[in-house]
Amino acid sequence: MKLSATIRGNSYTFRSVKEVLARANPPKSGDDLAGVSARDPVERVAARAVLSQLTLGELRANPVVPYEQDELTRLVEDNLDEGAFNAVKHLSVGQFREWLLEPTTTGQKLRSVAPGLTPEMAAAACKLMSNMDLMVVGAKCEVVVRCNNTLGLPGTLSSRLQPNHPTDDVQGILYSAREGLVYGCGDAVIGVNPATDTPESTAEILRALGDLRARNGIPTQQCVLSHVIVQMKALALDCPMDLMFQSFAGSESANRAFGISVALMDEAYDLMRRKKSSTGPNFMYFETGQGNALSSDAHHGADQVTMEARCYGFARRYKPFLVNTVVGFIGPEYLEDGPQITRAGLEDHFMGKLMGLPMGCDACFTYHAKMSQDELESLKVLLGAAGCTYLMSMPVGDDIMLNYQSSSFHDIPSVRSLVKKSPAPEFDAWLAARGISSGHTPGERLGDVSVLR
Amino acid sequence: MSRGYPESRTRDLVAQLRRQLGENDPNPPRQPLPEVAFPPVRVFPSPRRRSALAEAAAAHTTALVGIGAVGTRYATDVVLQFQAELAVAHGAVAAELPGDWAESKGYFPLISRVTSHREFLLRPDLGRRLSEASAAKWAAECKKDVDVQPILADGLSAVATQGAGPELMGGFIAECERRGWKVGTPCCAKFARVWLEDEIGQLARAKVAVILLGERPGLGTGDGLSAYLVFNPKLGNTDGNRNMMSNIHARGIPPADAAKRLAVLAQLMLEQGTSGVALDLAPRAAELGEAAKGGYRKPEPRTRLVEV
Repeated sequence: MKLSATIRGNSYTFRSVKEVLARANPPKSGDDLAGVSARDPVERVAARAVLSQLTLGELRANPVVPYEQDELTRLVEDNLDEGAFNAVKHLSVGQFREWLLEPTTTGQKLRSVAPGLTPEMAAAACKLMSNMDLMVVGAKCEVVVRCNNTLGLPGTLSSRLQPNHPTDDVQGILYSAREGLVYGCGDAVIGVNPATDTPESTAEILRALGDLRARNGIPTQQCVLSHVIVQMKALALDCPMDLMFQSFAGSESANRAFGISVALMDEAYDLMRRKKSSTGPNFMYFETGQGNALSSDAHHGADQVTMEARCYGFARRYKPFLVNTVVGFIGPEYLEDGPQITRAGLEDHFMGKLMGLPMGCDACFTYHAKMSQDELESLKVLLGAAGCTYLMSMPVGDDIMLNYQSSSFHDIPSVRSLVKKSPAPEFDAWLAARGISSGHTPGERLGDVSVLR
Repeated sequence: MSRGYPESRTRDLVAQLRRQLGENDPNPPRQPLPEVAFPPVRVFPSPRRRSALAEAAAAHTTALVGIGAVGTRYATDVVLQFQAELAVAHGAVAAELPGDWAESKGYFPLISRVTSHREFLLRPDLGRRLSEASAAKWAAECKKDVDVQPILADGLSAVATQGAGPELMGGFIAECERRGWKVGTPCCAKFARVWLEDEIGQLARAKVAVILLGERPGLGTGDGLSAYLVFNPKLGNTDGNRNMMSNIHARGIPPADAAKRLAVLAQLMLEQGTSGVALDLAPRAAELGEAAKGGYRKPEPRTRLVEV
């Protein structure tokens, strides 16, 4: 394994695969904060040159957190599909990038190789790719999942309806939910981040959303994004839980800070399988985001892109219906500005899809990050073109509980008509029957809540 | 024998096509346009002018619903309101505490290890430690062995600090003195993160440290303060050691009420000798009121920012 490269007569030598991966990363304030980024732009290219020569087999042998120290590393290593891995293990990362871009590498082939890829392989490919490379490959990936409806079919773009409220006022939540539905939003999920993390309030919100769905026959699913332990308790309270949610981080110690482990998630998954109110084989929902391992000092000296990919290695164990990166929520100390947030959104979508996950993105910023509204709108269109499974949606993109800026009810039909994508087919038919929209074309009743009961 | 190309029919055809294209406008002829009718008025839902739906929703939420659409986009009036709200939030984040502000208000001026506003946003670790000069001066001159060390700071909104900051600080100190506690030298820290209270409190050998600082602005707001309290302040404390109260401003928890509740929290810490997850709020739940239920935001009426 060669860990050095020469550029214009200057030799650059790296100490480990982990260091190569980190220094090869495009600039991120979070990698600077962690002290793992390249010292200058030339060293960054040298690291990429070294990375391009490493084989996927060598990456498997060198996870960024050792097997003995971390249950996520063990989970990935022990469950890797050997057949799929053997098909690509001899490729260098540079060759792997080219194979991904080749037109003969179809969505079907990408789906077949996904179970043989470790997070480090997805992260490594990511570092050799430009934004448009990430989009081209991301758009080829086919990840189709089914709960009460079907997401990820070619030519579709779905959305999570996020009707959050600062005091969990159920009427307030329903006002936002109804408004979103008539803009064609909510086919991925109607999902509420609760202000109060209790089993009772989780159950109460689920019942209210379940009633709204039943009254109008809406083919989607509802979810309350409280902690998984709270949701497990809520399941005992007789409430319609279609999807179970949890936030993930990329190492065992970072997940400990989130109050979860593989054993706990196995237990939650098993309970949900027996008690869920939804119909399909996919019923888990996970959120991630670059920087969340470093924020609990559990990044093990690795860069935030690689740590993010490790979340996906954890997530795929549970065949989720939804996974999304909350890309700009964490703040400027991890992603400083518009270009960094844009890059991270495209990276996370690519890595998640490559690893076989139905990847959505909360394209967003907090008000202390250096991103403009125009830059955020651009990112939504890029994600739509890159085949992103779903975007968020809320009134004017303003989350009145979490105080950040995301995509709006109005953005979803706008992006759909720009990139010619339709909602999930079951939901599309429901919208068409009410004159809200048809395919990617807005209808006469768009925005008219009187079509709802 | 001619060495020229055989006579080409293709060349003639292309030349003919070029002439045609050059002479003909590719667009259909323009239509005469009658005067465009005024579109129906679509406005940000102010109390004076809003739809029945927006009116009903306003009783339950500050989310902007019932605003209608133009095609799939916003009405001009909604865009302007939205941009104004965004500008207010960004302005609050960008504001810096003037260098002489702390002294002008009678506070002991402190500064973290941060040297610029950009560095403040990117390096939370530096905002959690005092500069060497500040630490030395504070250690030499501050009151020691105090019950409570009050700290005012900029945090993520210097606008909020300069707004309700002095009222909250003064109210809290008065509450402490009324209870007969020994109160530390009132200070004000620039480029400060929450955990800076550990070092400031440790140097003053305080039993409880309280930092009052500007919170991360939301749309249209930038005047909210948060308070974080910790028993036995020392470097190495984490968030689990702290209790907090957010949403301190005129439309949320008014500063006078907040000052009382903060004093009750400090009293619980002095009585139980602990803080954070280990602190039992039940003994003084009635005095704490809303603070006992946790610190979530109440909906605030959304105010129209643009008048033309």
